[in-house]
Amino acid sequence: MVRPGSPAKSPATRAAVMVMLTVAILGALWVPIYAHSLPKLGDFPFFYWYQLILVPVTAILCWICYLLLRTKPAPQTEAQGGEGARR
Amino acid sequence: MNHVNGVTLAIVVASFLIVTCIGFASARWRPAEDPMHLNEWGLGGRGFGTFVSWFLLGGDIYTAYTFIAVPALVYATGAAGFYALSYTIMVFPIVFIFAPRLWSVARARGYVSPGEFVRGRHGSQGLGLAVALTGILATMPYIALQLVGIESVLTVLGIGGNSGNILVRDLPLIIAFAVVSAYTYLAGLRAPALIAFVKDTLIYVTVIVAILVIPGKLGGWGHIFGVASAHLSSVNPATGKPYGNLVVLPAGEWAYATLALGSALALFVYPHAVTGVLAARRRDVIRRNAAMLPAYSLVLGLIALFGYMARAVPSVNAGVKAGHGNAQLSVPLLFSSMFPSWFAGVADAAIIIGALVPAAVMSIAAANLFTRTIYKELFRPYATPAEETRVARLASLLMKVGALGFALELNKTFSINLQLLGGIWILQTFPAVVIGLYTRWFHRAALIIGWAAGMAYGTIQAYRTSGGGQAHFGASAAPVFGHTTYIAIMALIVNLAVSAALTVVFRRFGLRDGYDETRPADYVADPVPAPATAAGARTRRTPDSVASR
Repeated sequence: MVRPGSPAKSPATRAAVMVMLTVAILGALWVPIYAHSLPKLGDFPFFYWYQLILVPVTAILCWICYLLLRTKPAPQTEAQGGEGARR
Repeated sequence: MNHVNGVTLAIVVASFLIVTCIGFASARWRPAEDPMHLNEWGLGGRGFGTFVSWFLLGGDIYTAYTFIAVPALVYATGAAGFYALSYTIMVFPIVFIFAPRLWSVARARGYVSPGEFVRGRHGSQGLGLAVALTGILATMPYIALQLVGIESVLTVLGIGGNSGNILVRDLPLIIAFAVVSAYTYLAGLRAPALIAFVKDTLIYVTVIVAILVIPGKLGGWGHIFGVASAHLSSVNPATGKPYGNLVVLPAGEWAYATLALGSALALFVYPHAVTGVLAARRRDVIRRNAAMLPAYSLVLGLIALFGYMARAVPSVNAGVKAGHGNAQLSVPLLFSSMFPSWFAGVADAAIIIGALVPAAVMSIAAANLFTRTIYKELFRPYATPAEETRVARLASLLMKVGALGFALELNKTFSINLQLLGGIWILQTFPAVVIGLYTRWFHRAALIIGWAAGMAYGTIQAYRTSGGGQAHFGASAAPVFGHTTYIAIMALIVNLAVSAALTVVFRRFGLRDGYDETRPADYVADPVPAPATAAGARTRRTPDSVASR
């Protein structure tokens, strides 16, 4: 019934995932890299547009990590909008 | 601001009634074979896929904090309030790392709350109890924050708020809360999960319209930032210093970073976030959601900018001043002065429903904790699933009453403090819960003492911090070695240091370790979705019989 879900991924994959996630976290945590008003994007000071752009960047990094760690191609039950398991 | 706008009010009331109907009807959504099981009431049957989980988690962790408290802070202090965006950026990579392990072990062992995991992992009833009590304590101010959010919308709507009579003033709020309590009691997690669809749709529509319409009306972003900058650099007569800055100054960077990191580490040890995670059907659902939930962070960032927009509208500033400087009124006031009445109603409804959904999930999560870790563990080890569910229902009601107490007691000038205070407490369970997912190096007794030290330090520090016109619990960041730091982070460091030192001592004296009922394979388990038949019943029953051994 309970079977191991993630057969060991190669160390390189795991390392890549950790690097990507660390970059995403540090990008927000390291405040000095974005606590500036220049360069502006339109009327937006750097401080604001940097963080707003970091949001989708983090999302993409997480998505890549998800693809790397995925144990098998998307389970077909998911295709039904999450309604598959219970009827 | 105190005359009631009939159209706006009608839209808000109608939305509330629709949501109430959905709440009661949700009891029949994906009906369970045995609704009186805590897996059903407390976790919605543990069957939510990516899509539902996205709405539920989004509806659950983006709360009145996002819609009211953060823009209020930005309105008043500028860039410092944007730590919330930084926090919601880094939270998902963090969740990505540890939440799948928590999901797996909880699924494999049938845990419905973090308290049970800690008890099982460290073989310590006391530690489980500490985690459960902390979860309940920390959730109350967070629910209270939801109440404050609803209250500020109601105040701007012109109902309640300004009457001298407490009962009249808070009556609409109490009615709304009573109704939510009723359908939460009946339907459990299914109610907020379904209502989250309505909530999120309203929120997204409101934010998109606001971002497209309001800057144009106000003369563009350049003007908005200009007005904000001018205000922030003017001197606050109360403190003799500028109100804030448009960009965080070097002196404020440490506070900004620790507030963001502390909040991010704390979020997914909060019981309500754990509940949202555990309700997922598959392990991959969580990782996929870590990549998809940032859509809400973007919304949070845009809503934070509402604080600046509000600053650029003279009638909002006048309204805030009339409300005794209550910055929490800024967003609802912005809606009423920028939108036609009917759309202001939609936007106000979005905030109210946006506060009710998390309040419901939080009370369910705290009830799960209470039932499994306190009631069953200490008083009724042989409680049947039906009895558990009955107790959990009652506990969810009590949680809401406790939250009302918090809402009435604590400073409302910056309701964000309620959340930060909860964060100080909940973060003290981080070593037992999150580090416990990876290692049992820490001794169980050392973890308990470390937890107590962190709780004591954090509470005393918060008590001693003045701010917002009150002497105690006035702010959540305090200077440490000359750097203003989020108290939660300092308390966590105290906690970890004590735990580590005592672990070494206890091992030296050969103090007995607890029994670990989990197995390494549990942490990567990914059981096939139980088709609610014999197989499903087996996974559920096994852990229960272990727990009541």
